[in-house]
Amino acid sequence: MRLITAILFLSLAREAHGESPSLTFEKDVRPLLKAHCTLCHGDEEKPKAGVDLRLRRFMDAPLESGATLLVPGKPELSELVGIIARGEMPKKGHAVPAHELEIIRQWVAQGAKTARPEPESIGNGPHITEEERSHWSFQPVKRPAVPQVAGAPEPIDAFLAVAMQREGLDFAPEADRPTWIRRVALDLTGLPPTPEEVAAFVADASPTAFEKVVDRLLASPAYGERWARHWLDVAGYADSNGYTEVDSARPHAWRYRDYVIRAFNADKPWDEFIREQLAGDELAGATHADYQAAVIDPKKLEQLTATAFLRMAPDGTGDPNDDAKLARNQVIAEQLKIVSSSLLGLTVSCAQCHDHRHDPISQEDYYRLRAVFDPAYNWEAWRAPGQRLYSLYTPAEHAKAAEIEKAAAVIDAGAREMSKKFLDEIFEVEILKLPEAEREPYRTARAIVEKDRTPEQKTLIKKYPSALALYSLDLYDPKKQEQVNAKSAEATKLRATKPVQNFVMALTEVKGQVPESKLFNRGDQEQPVRTVTPGELTILSTPDIAPFQPAALPSGSSGRRLAYANWLTSGKHPLVARVLVNRFWMHHFGRGLVNTPGDFGLSGERPSHPGLLDWLADEFVKGGWKLKPLHRSIVLSRAYRQSTANPSSLQADPENRLLSRYKVRRLEAEPLRDSILAAAGALVDKPFGPPSTIARDPAGRIVLGVDKGTITKAEAAPGGEQDFRRSVYVEVRRSKPVTVLDTFDAPVMTPHCELRPQTTVAPQSLLLMNDTFILDNARRLADRVHREFPDDETARLGRTWQLLYGQAPGESDIARAISYLRLQTATLTVHHAQNPPAAPAKGAAPLPAPDPAREALASLCQVLLSSNRFLYLE
Amino acid sequence: MKYSFSGSRRHFLQANSYGLGSLALASLLQKNGLLAAPVKPDLGPETEYDLLPKQGHAPGQAKAMISLFMMGGPSQMDLFDPKPMLTKYDGKNFPGEIKYDNLAQASSKVFGSPWKFTKHGQCGMELSELLPHLGAVADDICLIRSMVSGVSNHAQGLYAVNSGRVTAGNPALGSWLTYGLGCETEDLPAYMVLSHPGGLPTFQGEHFTNGWLPALYQGTVVRATEPRILNLDPPPTLAGDGQRRQLDLLRSLNEEHSSDHPGELDLRARIASYELAAKMQTAAKEALDISDEPESVKKLYGVDDPKTRDYATRCIIARRLVERGVRYVQVLNAGQSWDQHSALITALPTNCGAVDQPSAALVTDLKQRGLLDSTVVHWGGEMGRLPVLQNDAGREKWGRDHNTFGFSQWVAGGGFKGGYVHGETDEFGHKAVVDPVHHYDWHATLLHAFGLDHQKLTYKRNGLAASLTGDQGAKVVEQLLA
Repeated sequence: MRLITAILFLSLAREAHGESPSLTFEKDVRPLLKAHCTLCHGDEEKPKAGVDLRLRRFMDAPLESGATLLVPGKPELSELVGIIARGEMPKKGHAVPAHELEIIRQWVAQGAKTARPEPESIGNGPHITEEERSHWSFQPVKRPAVPQVAGAPEPIDAFLAVAMQREGLDFAPEADRPTWIRRVALDLTGLPPTPEEVAAFVADASPTAFEKVVDRLLASPAYGERWARHWLDVAGYADSNGYTEVDSARPHAWRYRDYVIRAFNADKPWDEFIREQLAGDELAGATHADYQAAVIDPKKLEQLTATAFLRMAPDGTGDPNDDAKLARNQVIAEQLKIVSSSLLGLTVSCAQCHDHRHDPISQEDYYRLRAVFDPAYNWEAWRAPGQRLYSLYTPAEHAKAAEIEKAAAVIDAGAREMSKKFLDEIFEVEILKLPEAEREPYRTARAIVEKDRTPEQKTLIKKYPSALALYSLDLYDPKKQEQVNAKSAEATKLRATKPVQNFVMALTEVKGQVPESKLFNRGDQEQPVRTVTPGELTILSTPDIAPFQPAALPSGSSGRRLAYANWLTSGKHPLVARVLVNRFWMHHFGRGLVNTPGDFGLSGERPSHPGLLDWLADEFVKGGWKLKPLHRSIVLSRAYRQSTANPSSLQADPENRLLSRYKVRRLEAEPLRDSILAAAGALVDKPFGPPSTIARDPAGRIVLGVDKGTITKAEAAPGGEQDFRRSVYVEVRRSKPVTVLDTFDAPVMTPHCELRPQTTVAPQSLLLMNDTFILDNARRLADRVHREFPDDETARLGRTWQLLYGQAPGESDIARAISYLRLQTATLTVHHAQNPPAAPAKGAAPLPAPDPAREALASLCQVLLSSNRFLYLE
Repeated sequence: MKYSFSGSRRHFLQANSYGLGSLALASLLQKNGLLAAPVKPDLGPETEYDLLPKQGHAPGQAKAMISLFMMGGPSQMDLFDPKPMLTKYDGKNFPGEIKYDNLAQASSKVFGSPWKFTKHGQCGMELSELLPHLGAVADDICLIRSMVSGVSNHAQGLYAVNSGRVTAGNPALGSWLTYGLGCETEDLPAYMVLSHPGGLPTFQGEHFTNGWLPALYQGTVVRATEPRILNLDPPPTLAGDGQRRQLDLLRSLNEEHSSDHPGELDLRARIASYELAAKMQTAAKEALDISDEPESVKKLYGVDDPKTRDYATRCIIARRLVERGVRYVQVLNAGQSWDQHSALITALPTNCGAVDQPSAALVTDLKQRGLLDSTVVHWGGEMGRLPVLQNDAGREKWGRDHNTFGFSQWVAGGGFKGGYVHGETDEFGHKAVVDPVHHYDWHATLLHAFGLDHQKLTYKRNGLAASLTGDQGAKVVEQLLA
């Protein structure tokens, strides 16, 4: 009982803010009833047993049983309390915990009060209370005053310092310069700083030394290649369609990936970036049949390319699948999940089948939001992935291609004519082998197409099959067939001179086609219930804001997505900017200010620093939705520059919610792979374009390379340069995750990824010990440092440390490494003596003699590449 | 303040040696019980964690567990819970009130099970004809017909039965068991997951997440097809001494680095994972290779039949892992393949055909080896199904919707009572009415079988003692235990 009282007290204290501790329906009781009761008693059109618990005043209605639901002041006479206490309700779901029932009991005892007069009527579906309406993330962003804190003149630090001081914490000391530059370089570009960059920074005594580094990194193309990856995660970028086992390729998806990289590098304002991704086709004035003007205008083409964001969900409708309608509906449902969690930070998808169980989002709301996108998807007049590609030909190229096709068709006709002539000649010889009486009937039968022949004619032909000579010229006369083939080859050759045709994958509407949007019972497209019109979630459309009014566009597009995108980026939407800045923050510090980045709803985490979140959101919008300035203020903050060591923070705040230290975290898969390649000097800086291909190797790994496999045997041939490009350019095949990335938690897009897990498991260690990727690159690194310092072992080791850690080795490091190299060289020498290399095949060049010293150095490099100091950002 | 990391060193028998000699010695010592006595878990606040074998709060019979998890919600009234009333009312209106999950496709027509039930074993346990092999081990299994979680979604249902609470992100059962008891082998991960060739079940990593427990306790996923673990072969030039020297150097670098970052548990977990990986190179390959199993064993499980081959192989592997000291093994299905909202009549026999023989063989095989007493085998999903039909579009399309108010699972070995049926649902199989077992009761009982007290097995998180069962009022169901 004491515990219950304590919990009750806490729950009151949490919300009280000095107000009277009396309980109200809206604040204290309704959330409990909503969690346990209103699914049956309120949310359905006919509440069970006539009991509707959505409003306090509904509880005054007499019960069918004759009992009284609520007697204010008398919990013992109130069936609301009694039926729960006896365990008869709820029939479905968990029992109401004792402390919650106690709250209900107390509320009744206090007179069953409401916070304010209840509304006269409530519409279909769930009623939204003031309490839900007042949930923090649904409120407009309000720029708070920046607290004045000594030692934290910058706003970010000031907000953080206030929270730290409340817990008696302070920032950790500043990290040393090599540590900070490695941190910021890996964070912003996904690549470690070069030793030269570290040295220059350490030696830079100017007051703008830090700023110079940040500006250089933000200006580097590598920045976009790193940060695009974060957005591609939430967008669910993949080069394959998924959904079915076929997992067919999406050969043109990469243009969207490049668009995103370019947008980051150009610091494209995010309002524009979002508008283009949601409605680029409408901005460009393009529709399904009328897109030519858009593809020849670079700006419009960019806008059209951006709409592939809305084509990222798995889409099996172009592949054989069991239920075609379901497959279509799934595309839309998954895409809506991507849109809502990436931009709204709400789990809107939960309302696909029924009203949201925790958030004030009705099923009606879900389908109103879906109606924004319906004209473009239109599941009843579906366009499969192959029908959503738009040719990049210019009109001149179209004309050229048509002209060539026409000429080629003439050649084809000639070839057919030639073949027929040869066959007819053969026939004239063959028919002579038939008895004379049957020759004319046979000739007549042959001249008739097969399906029109009479049974007698068919029998006759069957009797003398070889006389037919209508096809298979090669069997009668291979030489003549060759002549025909030569003719056909001319057409093929001619067709090859057509201009190369490229395609953009995009989302468009069909001119004037606006399907009626329906609410589907339980999300089942087979059970449409009632028509809905496009609109914002009820909770986000307060009475005084009319969020958006779609208006048909001159192009013939419905204008729904453009109107919606304009509203989202108006600066008035309470969620968009908060959700975005929270993600940016999360990537810099390893955790978000709201650590459920895809759920800002009632069951999501509350922000650790609400003021800071709003300040950042407002700053972002006021600054023109530009990300680079935000990066700048974050990475130059004291919070970001502090070291990882702060014992009191570690003790009081192990999860580092208050950010009074920089928390170490493992590099994500892509920076890990890219850093290894960079250190080895093997990284190929070849941006953009079709992805580097992947293949299964005989060991079962998915590696970069050219697929030479057959049904029975996996084989991956080296792909040359392409194998060494940055990870963002590697093909993303949903069914074939690249082993080196997959092992380190790169997501499989089903349909997208809001928050990557960070695992620490033995297969990662096995990869770093034994995988050809690490072995090859350790050897390259050894070759590199040996080439750079052929005669000076100490300098060579120093260079290796600098390349990997950004810092020089200590004397003991050198001594230990040298001792290791001696012993390892000896071991390898023995190994090679005992296992002499096989003699080269006759005529082949002799294999180079083993070099135990170099192999030992490579094995040292492998150890350093596998060390936590390399694998972790600190 | 003081941080001590000596534990990770004492964890490994000989810090400087990975040679086969010392490994063999270690396993010999272990078999003879000569290795340092298992230590009591210190469950107070600490920054030091390991996988050393630990004793529970009391002696427990169970030492290891194999969970045959059936994501989707297997239909209890067609498999485990015969209901003559359903047959009587087949096609007629359900006479009571149904707790539908999907009101939309709800029908009030009763769907009598199309399959016959017969009695099995000395105990006379009634089981469906879809599970003929299970019938043969009826006397060894404990069938619970009154499971309740009360949360109808797959996600929340999974979280409830797999990690104790209806929210995501909490540690899975296997993490708790390895946290509480460590592992009996140093050569293999304490917690292993055998995935299906068709991919992971829905909600993927939630099945084997360590949640907020240290990373040391997360499940290691084994690939569904050969090679089941990649990169087990050291490069030929470094195999043996060369790699041992690499790992020694790596450990000393990592230890130094870790001491610069006290309290960062992930750094500790990674140091341990290298030690483990080194040993797995020989141990995992051997453990995952079933080619040396006698033909009779392969036949028992059904490796010779394409229908059962995959599941049979994974069940044999699961047994081999447990034999070698792995604490917890999950054998998973793909997607939510037991979620028969429609076409139950054709889909359910297919599902059962793939798993019935291997599951029963696992019980038989463990028993023959004397391992069943110490190994819990669990078979079940996150929910069951309703007595009425769903999708009234012709009998062949009939399915059943979710039911979390009364469903079945079975468990064998590890101190659970064989030949015993626990609990009852109402006469239509809708709700548990006699001896309901909530997911948290099941967890409390399971921990108890392992000698762990569900109220004492806690982890300090944000200043609170967090546990698997939480404050849900869980109780040990004594009747389930022999």
